[in-house]
Amino acid sequence: MSKYHNFMQKPLSRREMLDICKGGFGSLAFMSLFGVLPTACGRSGKSILDASSNLNLGPHYLPKAKNIIFLYMDGGVSQVDSFDPKPRLTKENGQDPRKKFKVDATQFDNVGKILKSPWAFKQYGDCGMPVSELFPHIATCVDDIALIRSMTSQFPEHTNANYFLHTGSGLQGRPSMGSWMTYGLGSENKNIPGYVVLDGGLIPPGGLDNFKNGFLPASYQASILRAGDHPIANIKPKEKIQNLQEQKLGFINQLDKQQLAEIGKVDAVESAISNYELAYKMQSSIPELTEFKAETKATKKLYGFESDDPHTRGYAAQCLLARRLVERGVRFIELTCPKVSADRWDQHGNLKDGHERNAHAVDQPIAGLLKDLKSRGLLEETLVVWTGEFGRTPFAQGTNGRDHNPSAGSMWMAGAGIKGGTIFGRTDDYGYRVIENEVTVHDIHATMMHLMGINHEHLTFRFGGRDMRLTDVHGHIIKDILA
Amino acid sequence: MGLSVLLNIDSDAPSDIIMFFGRIHPLVVHLPIGFLLLAGLAEISTKWTKFQPVKAFTQYLWGLGVISAFFAVLFGYFLSLSGDYNEDTLFWHKWSGVAVLLFSLGCYYISKKQIRIPFYGKSILVTIVVFTIFYTGHLGGSLTHGSTYLLEYAPNPIRQLAGLPKKTMPRKKVTVLDSADVYLDLISPIMNNRCASCHNSDKKKGDLDLTNFSNLMKGGENGDVIIPGDINSSDLFRRITLPANHDDFMPTEGKRPLTDDEVALIGWWIKMNAPSSGYFTALNPDKEMADNVNRQLGLDKNNFLRETVQPPKKEIIDSLSNQGFIFNLLMKDNYFLEANFSLSEKDLAMDSFESLLQIKDQLIWLNMSNSNVTDENLEKIGQLENLIKLNLSGNKISDKGLIHLEKLQSLESLNLFSTEVSHGLLEIIPKLTHLKRLYLSNSNATNEIVSQLQSEHKNLKIIFD
Repeated sequence: MSKYHNFMQKPLSRREMLDICKGGFGSLAFMSLFGVLPTACGRSGKSILDASSNLNLGPHYLPKAKNIIFLYMDGGVSQVDSFDPKPRLTKENGQDPRKKFKVDATQFDNVGKILKSPWAFKQYGDCGMPVSELFPHIATCVDDIALIRSMTSQFPEHTNANYFLHTGSGLQGRPSMGSWMTYGLGSENKNIPGYVVLDGGLIPPGGLDNFKNGFLPASYQASILRAGDHPIANIKPKEKIQNLQEQKLGFINQLDKQQLAEIGKVDAVESAISNYELAYKMQSSIPELTEFKAETKATKKLYGFESDDPHTRGYAAQCLLARRLVERGVRFIELTCPKVSADRWDQHGNLKDGHERNAHAVDQPIAGLLKDLKSRGLLEETLVVWTGEFGRTPFAQGTNGRDHNPSAGSMWMAGAGIKGGTIFGRTDDYGYRVIENEVTVHDIHATMMHLMGINHEHLTFRFGGRDMRLTDVHGHIIKDILA
Repeated sequence: MGLSVLLNIDSDAPSDIIMFFGRIHPLVVHLPIGFLLLAGLAEISTKWTKFQPVKAFTQYLWGLGVISAFFAVLFGYFLSLSGDYNEDTLFWHKWSGVAVLLFSLGCYYISKKQIRIPFYGKSILVTIVVFTIFYTGHLGGSLTHGSTYLLEYAPNPIRQLAGLPKKTMPRKKVTVLDSADVYLDLISPIMNNRCASCHNSDKKKGDLDLTNFSNLMKGGENGDVIIPGDINSSDLFRRITLPANHDDFMPTEGKRPLTDDEVALIGWWIKMNAPSSGYFTALNPDKEMADNVNRQLGLDKNNFLRETVQPPKKEIIDSLSNQGFIFNLLMKDNYFLEANFSLSEKDLAMDSFESLLQIKDQLIWLNMSNSNVTDENLEKIGQLENLIKLNLSGNKISDKGLIHLEKLQSLESLNLFSTEVSHGLLEIIPKLTHLKRLYLSNSNATNEIVSQLQSEHKNLKIIFD
C-alpha cells in the first residue's frame, strides 16, 4: 500500500482532512500547519466541526451575487464600433495612423489607414450611454449596465489572451475562474454541476483548457452542454431496463470504493466517483432543464426565438438555458458564441459584414436575458459579464478589417451589486490606448469574486509549494462600478 | 578658509556635496547620543565596586562621544545651510549641540587626566552633558517632525502641563436620528471630507478655513461664504451647485464633488439660518430631508448584520434539510443564513415553518420561489423578523396573505413576481421602511397601483412590466 504513496502527489482531500480533524485540539493544531482547508474560504476548523454537514459553507462576506453568467464574445469585439465612439476616426478616416500616433506591432502587421466606424452611435437610457447600431437591443438595457472602456490584456493573440481571461494566466493549465468560484462557494444544486459552459458552437482558441480545473480537484471543472437536443453525450440511458443501469453503476461504484480504500483517498479517484454519481443524477435533471415547455411564448419571443436568423434563435435558447441554470442554483455559467456564417468576432477583414452577423446573433438574446432576469428578480443576485479577450485596432488591417488590440477594449457588467448606467475608464481620441483607469483582467476577476462575497486575496489553493490565487499577486476591485 | 572655498560654503545655495553630508546628520547624530549616554552611565556605575573595572574604559567612551559629536555638529551645520528650518528653534538646537561637544570634551579631558574636581564637580558636569543631549535631541525632533509631534497623542493632563489644548474628541457615531447634531454630525463631516484638504488652518486656499464653525462664518478673501437664510447669496452654495466644468466650481481640480444629498443638506442648513449647533430633528425637517440624513448617516441600512449571531441548532438544520431546504452560510465567522426551498423535490411541509421560526435570528435570506406557499404560510413567514431578502415568486399568494408581512422591518428586497397580489400592496408596502426593491411583474398589480406606490416612495425601485 505504501509504495503507491511514493508516486502520487497527494494533497489532503476534504474527507481525509475531516477524518484527521475528528481528533480534537491536537488535530486542530495540525490543521493550522496546513494553513488552508480544502473547502476553500478559509473558515476556521472549529466551525466546521460544530456545524451541521447540511450547512453549506459560504463566502467571506455577505455576497451581492449568487451566480455569474459570463457572456464570452469570442475573437474580440471592436470597441470603437460598439461602446466607445470616436468622432476623430470619422474626421481622419483614410489617413495614415503612423503619422498620428505610435503604432505597435500588430499580429498580422498589415497596418492600413485610419478606419472610421461603419456604424452610427446613439445615446440611450437615462444615463445617456452611447451605443452603436450593432446592439439596438442591448442599448435598451444601458441603465442596468456598467460599461468599462479601459480593459487591457497582456496578450495580443487569441489563445494566450483566452487563457489569461479565463484563468488569470496566459499559459495553459491554470484553473478556470468558474472552477475557482465553485471551489470557493460550492454548488446549491446536487443534480447539476456548479460550473457549466453552454457551447454555442464555437470553442474558443485554446480549447477546453479554458474551462479546466487545473490544479484544483477535478470535480470543479466545467461541464459542457452543447446546443440542441443532445446537450450531453449519453444523457439518455442506453439500457432498456432502468434497473440494469442502476445495478451496473452500483457495481462500478463498489469497485471504485475498493480501489480507493486500497490506495488511500486520492483526488483523481474520489472526483471520478463523485462525477459518476453526478452523471447519473444528470440523466434526469438535464432533460428537465433543457425542456422549454413551461416557458411562455412571450418569454421566448423576448429572447428572440421568433427571429429569422437561426443563429439568433440558437443563442436565444442558450440564454434562456442560462436563466434556467441560474434558477437551479448553478454558480458559474459561461456562454460561448454561435458559429455564424462569418468568422467569430475576429474580423481581420470584412468588418462590417462579420460584426453585423455576430452582433445580430447575440444582441436580442442578451437583452432578453437581462430583461427576463430583471423582471423575475434574478438580476439582483446574478452578475452578467460581457467581454471578449481584447479589443481591436482603430486603424484598418488591409482595407476593411481590424487587427487585435490588447491595449484597449470595452466590456460591461450588469446585475448584482453593479451601479447601472456607469461608464468607467477612458481611451485616447482614437480608442487605441487606455489613458484613464486601466482595468486589467485581474481587476475583473477580483471584482467578480468580490461581488460573490469572496476576498480574492484569501481564496487560495496550495500547489507547487505556494498558495495560488486566481488573481496571482494582482487584482484591484473596481469600486467605481459598484452600487 | 581653504576648506570653505573648496566646499563653497559662502555662496547662497550650498553645493551638492555639502547637502550630501548635511543629510547624513540625522544618521550620525545618534552616535554621540549613544556613546555619551553610555559614558555617563559608566561614570555613575563606577560608584559601585562591582562596576569598578569599567572605570578603565570610560575615557575611551568619552573620546568616541567627542569624535562622533564633532561630526554630528559639523554635518548639522551643513544641513542648517539649506535654510529649510524654523530659525528660532534652529538657533537653540545648533548652540546646544555645540555645548554638548564642549562639555563632553571637558569630560574626556577630566577622565583621561583623572583630575579630581571638588564638590561633586564631575557628577555635575556629567549631568549637564546628559541633560543637554536630551534638550538638543528634542529640538532636533521638533525641527524634523514639527513642534506638535511629540505630544500629539499624549494624555490630556500631560498636554495641559505643556500648555497645549485638549485633544479634540472624535464625535460618537450617531445611531439614532434624534441624537444627530446639525453642525457637528452633519455639516462638519461634509466640510472635512470634501473641503478641508485645501481649506484648513495650515493651507488656507482663498484665505478660507472650513474646519470649524467660526472660521467658516468668517469667510475668505472674497468675503462671507455663508449668508444665513439666503442660499442665493451664499458663495459656498453657489460654487458647489455650478456645473462641474465651470471655473468657480468646488471642489476643484478633479476632486470628488459633493453628492446630491450633501448639496441638498447644506442648502437646507443655510435656509435654516446655518445654526452652529442643536439637534437636527429639533429643526423640524420634512420627510425628504430626514430620509436624506438617514442615508448619509447610514441609518437606512440594517445594522444588526454587524452583530454576531449564535450558530443555528444542528438538529433544526438537519430536519429542515430533510424536508428539502438548502442552507447557505452567508459570511465568514458569523452565522447569518440563507434558506432556499426553491430547488426542493419534496412538497412543502406545514411544520417546516415552525422550525424556521427557531432559526429566525440567523435567517436573513429566504427563497420560497415556486414552492406552493399559501396565504396561510405567510403568517409564519411574517414572523421571521430578520429577513432582508424574501422571494415569494411563483406562488398563489394574495393580498390576504400579504398583510402578514408588515413586521418584516429589515426587508430590503421583496419578490412578488407571478403572484396574485394587488391592492393590498398600497397598505403593506409603506409600512416596510427599509424596502428598496419590489418585483411585481406578472402579478395582479396594475399601473395605477404601481405609479401610486412609486410616487410615494421615490427611492423604492419597483420592477413591473
